[in-house]
Amino acid sequence: MDQNFSIETTEIDGIPVVTVSGEIDVATAPPLRDRLQSLSSSGKPTLVVDLLGVTFLDSTALGVLVGALKRCRESGGDLPLVIGEPRILKVFEITGLTGVFPIFDSVGEAARSVK
Amino acid sequence: MRRMKSVAGTTSVDLSIPVRADLVVLARLAAATLASRVGFGVEDIEDLRLAVEELCLSVVGSGDDDGRLHLNYECEGDAITVTCRYEADRAPSGSRLGASDDLSLRILDALVDDHGHELRDHRPSAWLSKRRSDAPRLRRDAGAS
Repeated sequence: MDQNFSIETTEIDGIPVVTVSGEIDVATAPPLRDRLQSLSSSGKPTLVVDLLGVTFLDSTALGVLVGALKRCRESGGDLPLVIGEPRILKVFEITGLTGVFPIFDSVGEAARSVK
Repeated sequence: MRRMKSVAGTTSVDLSIPVRADLVVLARLAAATLASRVGFGVEDIEDLRLAVEELCLSVVGSGDDDGRLHLNYECEGDAITVTCRYEADRAPSGSRLGASDDLSLRILDALVDDHGHELRDHRPSAWLSKRRSDAPRLRRDAGAS
């Protein structure tokens, strides 16, 4: 597992912000899925996922994010993503997911979009 | 286990790893290292890293298994071909080969020049080929007067 991988949860105006750093791959996607599921099941319909510190992301990670987005929307919320790295954005573009997720350049913008 | 041999401009590297989620990173690392040695640029290396990850996932899925993944990397000229083969007494439980709507497939389609898969004796294998994006392409009218 990527030794630099980490997940931290903070809040902005009551909205949970999940900050992920390092490589999200087949080994590290499960703890991210668990964290997002835990937040959704604790009654938080909207989550901001900050991927600014992510250096690698595969289809397993995309599957985790798509699953979390579905849960958020079923609860009347949303799952805006924060992406800064062009090669991370590229993975969303080539899979057609830029039209599915709201994507922002900063956590502040993402949090404002769901107020 | 890792073996490397060179024959007249071709470098061939074999890597064998247990099917474990935390070890797929080794397949990516080998791809990145070899791609760098044959002159791939940063973007091509990143594309290949992701493509190799998806290749492994397409063969064995995301679960751990008591089988092994055998990877062969062939570097020839400005291209790298990676073959990923599952080896065990039975089929892997999570293989995604043939899943046409899979995100892996979309990623592979976008990032490599060619890829394919086959199932032989319940053992899946898949391969990909990628050329350096700055390599000169053969022109259809080359040589025409």
